[in-house]
Amino acid sequence: MNARRAALGQVVAAVPLAVWFAMPLVPIVLWAVAARWSWPAALPQRWGLTGWREAGAAGLPSAMARSTLLGLAVACLATPLGAMAGRALGWRLTRHSGAASLVLLAPIAIPPFAVATGLDTLVLRARLPGSLAVVLVLSVLALPYTTYILRAAYTATDPDLELQARMLGAAPRYVLRSVTIPVLRPALVTAAAMAFLVGWSDYVVTLVLGGGRLVTAPMLLASSASGTGNEPLVAAISVASILPLLAVVAGGVLVRRGRQGRRPAAARCRHEW
Amino acid sequence: MRARTTSLYAVAAAAVLGLAACSGAAVGAGTGGGSATSEAGTWQQVESRAKGQTVSLWMWGGDPKGNAYVDDVLAPAAAAAGVTLRRVPIADTKDALTRVLAEKQDGRTDGDVDLVWVNGDNFASGRQADAWACGWADDLPNAQFLSPNDPLVKSDFGTDVAGCESPWHKAQFSLVYDSARVSSPPTTLAGVLDWATAHPGRFTYPAPPDFTGSVFVRQVLYSVSGGYANVPAQYDQAAYDRLTPALYSRLADLAPSLWRQGRTYPRDSVALDKLFADGEVDLTMTYGPATLPDLVADGTFPATTRVLTLDEGTVGNASFLAIPSTSGHVDAAKVVANLALSPQQQVAKADPKTWGQFTVLDPALLPSAQRTAFDALPSSPVVPAYDVLSRNANPELAAAWVPAIDDGWRRAVLGAAS
Repeated sequence: MNARRAALGQVVAAVPLAVWFAMPLVPIVLWAVAARWSWPAALPQRWGLTGWREAGAAGLPSAMARSTLLGLAVACLATPLGAMAGRALGWRLTRHSGAASLVLLAPIAIPPFAVATGLDTLVLRARLPGSLAVVLVLSVLALPYTTYILRAAYTATDPDLELQARMLGAAPRYVLRSVTIPVLRPALVTAAAMAFLVGWSDYVVTLVLGGGRLVTAPMLLASSASGTGNEPLVAAISVASILPLLAVVAGGVLVRRGRQGRRPAAARCRHEW
Repeated sequence: MRARTTSLYAVAAAAVLGLAACSGAAVGAGTGGGSATSEAGTWQQVESRAKGQTVSLWMWGGDPKGNAYVDDVLAPAAAAAGVTLRRVPIADTKDALTRVLAEKQDGRTDGDVDLVWVNGDNFASGRQADAWACGWADDLPNAQFLSPNDPLVKSDFGTDVAGCESPWHKAQFSLVYDSARVSSPPTTLAGVLDWATAHPGRFTYPAPPDFTGSVFVRQVLYSVSGGYANVPAQYDQAAYDRLTPALYSRLADLAPSLWRQGRTYPRDSVALDKLFADGEVDLTMTYGPATLPDLVADGTFPATTRVLTLDEGTVGNASFLAIPSTSGHVDAAKVVANLALSPQQQVAKADPKTWGQFTVLDPALLPSAQRTAFDALPSSPVVPAYDVLSRNANPELAAAWVPAIDDGWRRAVLGAAS
């Protein structure tokens, strides 16, 4: 009886939360398939794919391909770096973890616009190619997220785990591949997804540091949203921008399912202790 | 068959006439003195150096028709001249200036910005920072179709253009109303403010420093000062202190009659347009009335939307294409700017179906065929023709006025309400 009441409580809490999260998406999804929707109609008066046609003409497919590459590059750089920092902080391998945490947080405390304009001259002086500069700077902006996610994961993992494996004769590389990474896999996936989204959703760094050579989906979104009467176009770009997020979530679910089917050696060991 | 023979004759005749005209021009150039020939020579050199270059045009991308015009009409014409035109869509022209200034600081001459669609404040800040290449715009061959007496193409918000930017199109600040809801529209700006007082909650304007809200406040300044002639174009503190108290007290008095009692204002013109589209207010305002027929056609605005022309006229300005001093493709950028100024491109751009931007060219200076093409442009019930819209056009104040008035508005009008 008590369990049933708890379940009911969960539903009561979950439904408003879900509505709250989904509400902003409803008009966007409707606008994306509307040709005309003027006040005070509750639903579009005419349906159509105007927004998608305009998005195609504006170059959305190639912009999304560029955004995907940018997101992947940022994730590839920021995730291993975040893991290293997270390991040092989570396992208290440094005495200055407070100061280090503060420094690592700085990139998200400072507005990206200030970071972009501040670094612009430096990047130009260093003669870095624009696209490389964008990847490097966005990786720094993604680093706080990956570090904090992985610090939490390392804190929750016993440092002796690696030691045990080493004592059993495993080489460091083998320990990393077969013990540490499998244990940290959910956190690594989450961190990589966050880093991907930093690259995927950036406007100002991509534009100013990239010198306009990298026309990404957020650039199309921001420039379209700054005009009147572009709702179908903006909605189409927005809906398209949610797709990789859904893909990442679906990927995460699949990974978790795969892991449940085939538990890593280290995790098994831990349960036996 | 007969028709075809006739048309063949016509083509042949045209060809002969064309040849005659060409040789006439050649003779004219030959006898017209050295400067014309050398200038033509220089332009030919510009054109040949431009071939194979890529031009990055940074432009505000909030108007899909403008984007489509550049991609589908201007870029192919540039390609025919051997220049690849790349459009960089931006949400704010300041983003382009930010990039150019960074490149400038580094002494770059191979920068990533070759052309910027710009005017007003951004142009003036660029000039102060020496960020534009100057002295080239008057040498474009198509600059011959610009009227030498047109203040709009010579001065950009009071800043001397000085050949640092080439005119692209004209804009006219316009008030817009729904004729189904405003039965007897006012004919002066003072009348509009009175109408707003008589109809509480049905009028508002975007909060300065929004571009459109800011020009509305300047338009009110002209009105309370008894006309633009009484406001000196160049900024000075004494004129500001003398003229603005009447402006701010008029707007502060108006505030309680505005949408939401003037406690809050639409963030920008997009937000005001949304209020108008949703029927929350009965008037909106825009710098680009040429986009209205399209907004009516796609149902964003009601079919009864009309432009409200004012007896005393409204502020008009022009926008331009500027070449940053850091550009590495100056020749190709000039070729594109010249192309954008050509009668063919200007008439294509003026067609509301393509983009609907008013031309900067002086029809009187155009060859008759091209003048006819402009006359043949379709008219719209929503927006009167440019010569009606721009009747008694008011000049823009110098760019230095703008932040001063906007700051004063925030203190005296917005601050007084809260």
